Amino acid sequence: MTDEVSTPDAVGPRVADLVRGLAECAELTRGQAYRLRLAADEIATNIVEHGYGGTGVVAVCGGVDDDRVWVRTEDRAPPFDPRTHCAGAVLATHPADRDPGGLGLYVAMAGLDEFHYEHVAGRNRNTMVVRREPGETERGTQDV
Amino acid sequence: MSFEAKSHVWDGIATIRLRGELESKSAGRLNRVIEEVATQELHRMVLLMDQLTYLSSAGLRSLVYAHQKLGRGVEIVLVGALPEVAETIRLTGFDRSVVMQEPTGA
Repeated sequence: MTDEVSTPDAVGPRVADLVRGLAECAELTRGQAYRLRLAADEIATNIVEHGYGGTGVVAVCGGVDDDRVWVRTEDRAPPFDPRTHCAGAVLATHPADRDPGGLGLYVAMAGLDEFHYEHVAGRNRNTMVVRREPGETERGTQDV
Repeated sequence: MSFEAKSHVWDGIATIRLRGELESKSAGRLNRVIEEVATQELHRMVLLMDQLTYLSSAGLRSLVYAHQKLGRGVEIVLVGALPEVAETIRLTGFDRSVVMQEPTGA
């Protein structure tokens, strides 16, 4: 089962719940869980706010593999690969002189071990991955 | 997800204690607290962050907002940020415009 969220305020809590469950299953460190949650939160929020312009359905699911934990979003907003976003101009500006915004995707990407984007059958598909520590063997899948 | 921001102002210093998760849903509440304290004459704003467990980019926008409301003449001090929160602040360069302190330095 995959969860669907459609407003910016709904995204954060649902992503937090999903990643909390995945992190417990995979025994992620606090830092790993935090980075995965932050990335998924930022990506999904960006889709709703900018992809759809405020409201639109984002499907969110996740899983635990032998060597990694992943969260995936799918949406029908216009095609957009988050890797094409450049935060260089924002980062080059002194924080006191910045316009608000423009850093969410940068923060998301910086915390991930892997990121994959596809545009499949009219849907954007973003897959966010953190690698598990060597030696962990639990396996499971959790869709919320 | 809960969030609290409690403030008091004394002798030109606004102190705001943050608790919980600062993200898109809660950032507006912090912005309103910043607006309230900005009505007074300040030379420093201190954010006590040791109980802030999550900071998204929406929360970072509140720091930009604080700069804009208070102006460059007001020093912004972040005290006791947890490692993950501090990492986000440093990653995005906000440590160039604020003072980051350990709790004992408050």
